[in-house]
Amino acid sequence: MNQTAFVELLNLACGALLVSAVLILWRRQLAAIIRWFTLQGLALTAIAAILAADARDARLGAVAAGVCVLRVVALPLLLRRALAQAKANGHPLRETSPLVNVTASLLAAAVLTLLAYAVSRPLVQLSPGSPAAHAIPVGLAVALIGFFALVTRRRAVSQLASFLLMDNGITAVGFLTTASTSLIMELGISLDVLFAAAVLQVLTSRLRDTFGDTDLDELRELHD
Amino acid sequence: MKTHVLLLAPVVVPLLGAVCFLLATLRPRLCWPLTAWVSPACAAVSLGAAIELAVTRSGHGPVTALGGLVRADSLSEFMLIVIGAVGLLATAASPAWLNAEIAARRASARAAAKHSALVQLFLAAMAAAVLAASLGLVWVAIEGTTIVTAFLVGQRKTRQAVEAAWKYVMICSTGIGLALLGLVVLNAAAAHAGVPAGLDWTRLVAAAPHLDQGVTRIAAALLLIGFGTKAGLAPLHAWLPDAHGQAPAPVSALMSGVLLSVAFYAILRVKVIADLALGPSYTRTLLVILALASLLLAASLLIRQRDYKRMLAYSSIEHMGLLALGAAAGGPLAVAAVLLHMLGHGLAKGSLFISAGRVLQLTGTHRIDQVRALASRAPLLAGCLGLGVLALLGFPPFSLFASELGIVRAGFAQGLGWVTTTALALVLMIAAMLLTHVARMLLGPAPAATEGELTAGAAPPRTGPERAGTATGIQNGGVATLAPPAIRTAETAKPGTELPASGLLPVIVALAACAVLGVYAGPLTTLLHAAAQAALTP
Amino acid sequence: MNALGLTGGVCQAVIVTAGAPVLTGVMRQVRAKLEGRAGQGIWQPWRDLRKQFRKQAITPDGTSELFRLAPLVLLATTFIATAAAPFVTTASAAGPLADLFAVVALLAMGTATLALAALDTGTAFGGMGASREMTILALVEPTLLVSVFALSVRAGSTNLAAIVTATVHDPVRVISPASLLAAVALGVVTLAETGRIPVDNPATHLELTMVHEAMILEYAGPDLALIELASSMRLVVFLGLLSSLFLPWGIATALTPLALAGGIAAFAVKVTVLGAALAAGEVFMAKIRLFRVPELLAGSFLLALLAVASSYFLTSPNP
Repeated sequence: MNQTAFVELLNLACGALLVSAVLILWRRQLAAIIRWFTLQGLALTAIAAILAADARDARLGAVAAGVCVLRVVALPLLLRRALAQAKANGHPLRETSPLVNVTASLLAAAVLTLLAYAVSRPLVQLSPGSPAAHAIPVGLAVALIGFFALVTRRRAVSQLASFLLMDNGITAVGFLTTASTSLIMELGISLDVLFAAAVLQVLTSRLRDTFGDTDLDELRELHD
Repeated sequence: MKTHVLLLAPVVVPLLGAVCFLLATLRPRLCWPLTAWVSPACAAVSLGAAIELAVTRSGHGPVTALGGLVRADSLSEFMLIVIGAVGLLATAASPAWLNAEIAARRASARAAAKHSALVQLFLAAMAAAVLAASLGLVWVAIEGTTIVTAFLVGQRKTRQAVEAAWKYVMICSTGIGLALLGLVVLNAAAAHAGVPAGLDWTRLVAAAPHLDQGVTRIAAALLLIGFGTKAGLAPLHAWLPDAHGQAPAPVSALMSGVLLSVAFYAILRVKVIADLALGPSYTRTLLVILALASLLLAASLLIRQRDYKRMLAYSSIEHMGLLALGAAAGGPLAVAAVLLHMLGHGLAKGSLFISAGRVLQLTGTHRIDQVRALASRAPLLAGCLGLGVLALLGFPPFSLFASELGIVRAGFAQGLGWVTTTALALVLMIAAMLLTHVARMLLGPAPAATEGELTAGAAPPRTGPERAGTATGIQNGGVATLAPPAIRTAETAKPGTELPASGLLPVIVALAACAVLGVYAGPLTTLLHAAAQAALTP
Repeated sequence: MNALGLTGGVCQAVIVTAGAPVLTGVMRQVRAKLEGRAGQGIWQPWRDLRKQFRKQAITPDGTSELFRLAPLVLLATTFIATAAAPFVTTASAAGPLADLFAVVALLAMGTATLALAALDTGTAFGGMGASREMTILALVEPTLLVSVFALSVRAGSTNLAAIVTATVHDPVRVISPASLLAAVALGVVTLAETGRIPVDNPATHLELTMVHEAMILEYAGPDLALIELASSMRLVVFLGLLSSLFLPWGIATALTPLALAGGIAAFAVKVTVLGAALAAGEVFMAKIRLFRVPELLAGSFLLALLAVASSYFLTSPNP
């Protein structure tokens, strides 16, 4: 793959990753959030696939396929199932107004992106010429936006989606820093994320059963 | 060959036990009484294997197995003994506890079998975490413990339990996610220094002096905060009181007693690499901040504590803060004290949680002010509780006295004078509060209206979605006791239920072991020193 | 200021002044056809302007000079911006004036003057329209500046002519994340500044939903004609900016009649296509409520900021 095409495609994929993170933070409809999450999984797969094609690394290609199966198929399926179990009266669910209103969240996302760029300077300078290294701040920004969304959401399903968003960002940083990683570790980490999401999905249905709906503001019983 | 068997036993044997219990869930009422004692048997085998491994490998170097995936040096062997000991304590007390729950109709035989299966998986995951040779696999195992214990914490399916389970999984997974980011960044630094992929600990340590400093700083901070979440250190500690307070007693014993220590073991491993790459001052500063924050938090929130299980959970945060302080001090004395503290705290806290579980089954209430005069009602239980608290607070002859003394001495020796003094003051505050609360529970004459208060304050038996919580609040308000609705009773009260004394036998043995350890460490001394060496220089 | 720029500037000024009402007519016709109506024909806006120019000028009681001057200022600033920005050629008629900040300031000045005139009338609707317009303007200006700034980073200068030249010479740059994000942000800015759906409905008759129309309620006759003309020209300026910065094909780079004709034709076609697409989109979108507008604008600001970040930090293929 020639250098120009590689850089352009990689930049496009990273841009798509970042934009889908912003849209997950912006949108209120839970179904729309899950759709953008699926798109983000595609962008992440694209990043891994582009890096694999450029380095001609079959192992990384296998990892890209695994990422596709996990983050484009399995995790959105779990999210949709959690949404279906959390629905009240068949109405499509919206995120009730989050802790920080949408305008402020978007401005906070801008600040977090700048923060990500500032913090990841030493990482970028590790491999100065590589285009993948220049895109590391994008992955870190997505992870920070996911963390912010996790803290400010009020519905269980959107908190779960934000957690997976943070994980997407961390995985992106992993792909962009080094192209080499042990297959067993990748498998273990993917399985862990899958099981954690499955556990949270089951807990969502239990939340619905015991509390009546999945508004996390209802979780007020335990405090000091 | 024999070494390899011994090495893998602590992981494989609990897995086999889990399989056995999973099969038992098919015909629970038949199988449960038969398999009840499989759990402690597996734990005993694991402990035996760990001790035998430590004995055969003493004086030798680390051993690897499974093509380098599994590695055991003195530190891992010591941690295996800690896991085995506290695991044996908790699983030996489980059958009595579970049978009492089944008799009181709060759990079914099927739930008991599922509980035991999950506990065995939990033990296997913890053993895998201390035996993993690569930091990545340590991470995978520790996240695995979160997943396995999620359903254990939420076992009772009440509002509080589900809330606790949600918070637990969410906060711990977030913290562990930060640790993953740290691992990714460390991987980048390692790849730049020429280490082959896989985050193998020995290779990382060998290459540590050549790691890029800026990147390693970021990685070390993320890893300390991430694994610190799982170890209950501030700032991401909010899950601990909820989860440990709502989980069933044997699970709380295991989580407080040994899971926090396993997460701290991961921090120790990371600290070795960070100290070699950055010099000791960076991690020392970080750990001191975490330690003081945790101690301050525990002290401030223990004052008005109303639930005795949450009180014990905050005490766990305090002890993890002490461990962090010891690790910050550094040096062989401090690290040996930290390791001894892990073992002592595990035994003492485990005993306390199991006793607290029996108190819950006996009185039906979570609240400290509703438990009175235990000493006259159930003297054996009160004795265990009292001795356990004395052990926890570091009274001689219990081993926590020696380990806390060691940590304080090391703190002063390494120049952390002011920090150690502040920590000591906070520990004294916490000790005073714990003693006050427990003394109120144990001592004094039995109040006349005990029966009336308890039956009025109890909730009707609950099988489905929680509705009677409101009723409890109203009833509580009706009786003279002022009942802020923050914590509601969730158990059927059957005051005076006779609980088999066999449930307390493991507690007595554990407390005795803790006392003996405090006086004479015996064969553990060499292992302790070897483990401390392994945690300082590879 | 070279010959190319001068010629281009003159052509632009003529074409935009003459063609802006035609574009409005085309957009209304597209909308009518999609809604199943016959429509008024694309020359109706010119017919309206002619009718209004013949009417008597009316000035309400209690207004000051500002009321009468505002339409002139609005038209003048829009006219200068039209002449200065590079639409037909890659050079500008007024070299330094083609700077990003200058053009944006000119456009903002026109809007601000109109808002002041609305306040000058002393009516309730005038004040309401003015306050809404200034809120939107305050939120949109940063986005406009930042999104074009993102493009200027690569070109090395904030002069619009330089940016367009750089884009013409390196068209691959258009599909980079910085460029795409800036395009989306600028699109939202266009909708907000020119008062189109979803920010403001230009065809509404309900005063309480008006933003731009509420400001010009008191105008009649030639003043109103000037304001309508200036508004149409503003729309053409924004669409022209979008087409020059992101779809640079066809712009004249040399001073030959063929290139100039090609430039004019390309400009006309691109602006018409963009306008028609905008009108078609308006049929399917609804106006969002006023308190949701800051969300939309904050989102576009975030996208613009991300565009700047990407342009600074993502490697370019030809460093």
